[in-house]
Amino acid sequence: MLRYIVQRLIAMAITFFIIISISFFILRLMPGSFADDPTLPREVVEQLEDKYHLNEPLIIQYGYFLKDAVKLDFGVSLKVEPKRTVGEILASKIPITMQLNLFAMLFMIPIGIILGIIAAIRKNRISDHLISVVVVLFISVPSFVFASGLQYIVAFKWNLLPTVLSKEQVLNWARFKSMILPILALSFSGIATITRYVRSELCEALNSEYMLLAKSKGLTQLQATIRHAMRNSFVPLANIIIPIFTSILFGSLVIEKIFAIPGMGGVLINAINAKDHTLTIGLLCFYSVISLMTVLIVDLSYGIIDPRIRIGGRK
Amino acid sequence: MKNQEKILQVKDLYITFNTFSGKVHAVRGVNFDLYKGETLAIVGESGSGKSVTTKTIMGILAKNANKESGQILYKDDDLMKYTEKNYNMIRGTEISMIFQDPMSSLDPVMKIGKQITETLRLKYGVSKQEAKEKAIGLMKAVGIPEAEKRYNQYPFQFSGGMRQRIVIAIALACDPEILICDEPTTALDVTIQAQILELIKDMQKNRDLSVIFITHDLGVVANVADRIAVMYAGKIVEYGTTDEIFYNPKHPYTWSLLASMPDMDTDDKDELFAIAGAPPNMVHPPKGDAFAARNKYAMRIDFEKQPPMYKVSDTHYAATWLLHPDAPKVEMPKILKKRIERQKRRAGEK
Amino acid sequence: MKNEKDIKLTERDFEFVQLEEDIKDQKFEGEAIGFFKDAFMRFRKNKGSLVAFIFIAIIAFFSIFGPAMNEYSFREQNPKLTFMPPRIPGIEKLGIFDGSIERNLRKTSLETKYKDSIVKVVREYEERGTEMVVARVNMYKYKGVEDKYFWFGTDYLGRDQWTRLWRGTRISFAIALLAVTVNLVIGVVYGSISGYYGGMIDVVMQRIVEILISIPRFVIIILFLLYMGAGIVPIALSLVLTGWVGMNYLIRAQFYKYKGQEYVLASRTLGATDSRLIFRHILPNAIGPIITSVTFAVPVAIFSESFLAYLGLGIQAPEPSIGVLLAEGQKELLNYPHLILFPAIVISILMISFNLFGNGLRDAFDPTLRGQE
Repeated sequence: MLRYIVQRLIAMAITFFIIISISFFILRLMPGSFADDPTLPREVVEQLEDKYHLNEPLIIQYGYFLKDAVKLDFGVSLKVEPKRTVGEILASKIPITMQLNLFAMLFMIPIGIILGIIAAIRKNRISDHLISVVVVLFISVPSFVFASGLQYIVAFKWNLLPTVLSKEQVLNWARFKSMILPILALSFSGIATITRYVRSELCEALNSEYMLLAKSKGLTQLQATIRHAMRNSFVPLANIIIPIFTSILFGSLVIEKIFAIPGMGGVLINAINAKDHTLTIGLLCFYSVISLMTVLIVDLSYGIIDPRIRIGGRK
Repeated sequence: MKNQEKILQVKDLYITFNTFSGKVHAVRGVNFDLYKGETLAIVGESGSGKSVTTKTIMGILAKNANKESGQILYKDDDLMKYTEKNYNMIRGTEISMIFQDPMSSLDPVMKIGKQITETLRLKYGVSKQEAKEKAIGLMKAVGIPEAEKRYNQYPFQFSGGMRQRIVIAIALACDPEILICDEPTTALDVTIQAQILELIKDMQKNRDLSVIFITHDLGVVANVADRIAVMYAGKIVEYGTTDEIFYNPKHPYTWSLLASMPDMDTDDKDELFAIAGAPPNMVHPPKGDAFAARNKYAMRIDFEKQPPMYKVSDTHYAATWLLHPDAPKVEMPKILKKRIERQKRRAGEK
Repeated sequence: MKNEKDIKLTERDFEFVQLEEDIKDQKFEGEAIGFFKDAFMRFRKNKGSLVAFIFIAIIAFFSIFGPAMNEYSFREQNPKLTFMPPRIPGIEKLGIFDGSIERNLRKTSLETKYKDSIVKVVREYEERGTEMVVARVNMYKYKGVEDKYFWFGTDYLGRDQWTRLWRGTRISFAIALLAVTVNLVIGVVYGSISGYYGGMIDVVMQRIVEILISIPRFVIIILFLLYMGAGIVPIALSLVLTGWVGMNYLIRAQFYKYKGQEYVLASRTLGATDSRLIFRHILPNAIGPIITSVTFAVPVAIFSESFLAYLGLGIQAPEPSIGVLLAEGQKELLNYPHLILFPAIVISILMISFNLFGNGLRDAFDPTLRGQE
């Protein structure tokens, strides 16, 4: 198990290294130095040159860059919020986005699993067909279309929930209420993915020989389903959590825009459009670390759930 | 054998399946009795309905199956009328079953100890410690070394033969009266096959089990069975004691089956017998004898009417028009005759 | 058993009928159904995907001919005719898409400014002492352009939404086409080489793929945007770089499955060249999975493009794309919902159709379902 964790950690470190190296070379090899911008004040340019050692050879710059990257120090933002450090900006935005994403995950996983179980157990009956229609809708229709629809109908026409995120700073009922629509909009495609997956896995598990043995040794259908089929069909579930989490992370960019949520999304778009490269690289590193961490967590949870990996130490 | 208590009676069992291409008549009127303490082997090629018959007895048929007619009498109860709830009372405790592939019949993510004790704990509320003791006893009985250590391991840590031993332990955990073995050795290496057969025989003797043993391999049957029923196209075409079936077969299908089995004396000069043609389409089962189209000795009547069961001896019956008093006398094929003589001689030498 | 004696049989019944015949394995009866024919037959039975296919065809038709169907161009601005509601000839008589919109007006202006353009008064209310009404106003009459028809209305610059929508749909189809090409060209070739030659070549090629997929797709897109700025090109490039990885795995697995089989070995022994083995003997086996996975790649690509366009990172003004139209519509969602309605419907139908179409193809090509009705 320990070896397995170490292997994963090393693989993750290598990928992270590749990503930041690529972003470094992209920046430095771009025509014109990123500090050349005439709109920047003199002092900022000097600061930049000093910070990034722009007068040294490329390879030495790279060394300094790596050193800073390991310390997660990305310097100051150039244009979006000049003079604030990238670290500060991230620290103020990350909690907002992560809160939303985690709520969405907490919402979608149980719902997706329940729908998947219903569909599998009532296979080829009305409820299964209904669920499969919902699945196709949720998978196909983009989250931003759902978001606009929810905002227009639920919030504006019916006046049930606020149209945009409340300005409350603490997580109280008013703020949570205003988060419901964004959470819903973020969750739909994930729910569909999980439902479809659980359904097919559980159908397979229900038809397996170990279910037959479990039944013929005297377990009821319900006992056998819960104790054997479900346990087995949940093992590979960890596999789809990675893409779902990244897609939520990705999806929350637009959802934040629609519901006026002051999270990472707006910063990222501004940073790219304003060519604020230090900030972009900081964001890039954040997104890479988050994605890689998710992969790691899922791999580890695999190890815990599946004895074949835990004891066998192989995948 | 004759005056023994009948523990299970299957009467006129008829099972169909709904499929996309139509209604498949999988089992078409099967009758047999199982005596206490005996091993009855059901032999037939794939699709002959032998697995369906036993799955019906266990009440684990697929959802698209229809129980058209028939009775399965066990201890004065008709299992055909059982609800799922009734079945739960007898599965594992009265009738138990083991399956073909030990690789897939164990839950891959549950410790095998837990899998063995599951029924005891859930059904009888046996304490954890007591259940564990019983399970370890069982594991030792089915020949698993270091049972205490193995108790906490997962299926993937066991070899195929060991897994089948575990499956047998699971099936016997609640001391059933009847054990159904659905091709328990097919997926195993030949060397392991013999060990598992020995184990099943031992278990049967020690626990006074009644065993229904399904296989397509006559070689396996010769070793374990007291009586044999030969199935073809959803019907039992011949049944009798093991000696009767092997030394005095009457049905042309049994002849073909025996002739197609290689033995020690088969050398490169002999050509192995293959049954020509294909089994009938069970969506539209033939009107007459289902084997007629592949039968060299088929008579006109074979295509018209299904043959009744003719009595050969008190224990031996066969369903073929060749046994009708008016039918021409037909001897079994020469190759088979030669072979049976050879085998009889060898058996005598032993 | 018991009726044994009762059966009346004649001697004729006991004649052997095939004693001398050599019983042969039965001839294969019926017409042989080819792979594609079988798949097509099953696909045709799947109503959902047939409908999906028709919808895709309709949307494709409009994306080609739609922009030329009226006199407006996608960039022609009408500063006086901004936010015009949709008005469609014929249908307007039914009371929908008649160029009217609900407005809050002073009651007094009903008789003056809006005199001839009121369709109906919905309700009256009072605000800060002023009498107000909610009324449906025919904006075309109000602005004095009764001869004009903007079928899907106009946006904040007075541009015709019909023309812009279908022109934007072209971007979606272009991206879809690119995704298909990338999958077929890079994915199939890469996977074939890797799977066919195996050994060291395979190890090196698959290591490269592993590195590619270990970097999140999103991060790759940001890197391209960082280097090139916002636009359609970086999106397309990121698709070219990673869009084929799934296809590579699929094809490689197919090659591993088939290259060791007897018929391939036999053909090789007879002197077939590598390219013949690849293209005649192995690849055709994978044709079903290839078509299916290409179809599923399409909605993913369409979604990514419209997503980035929505964020303003995709195609740049004045060129429209469904994502751009949705983002523009979102800004006016509460006042002019029609702006978001049409692009939302088109992209939803497009995505649903491609997914259903893919489902249908998957079932049609599924070898385990072959021959079933």
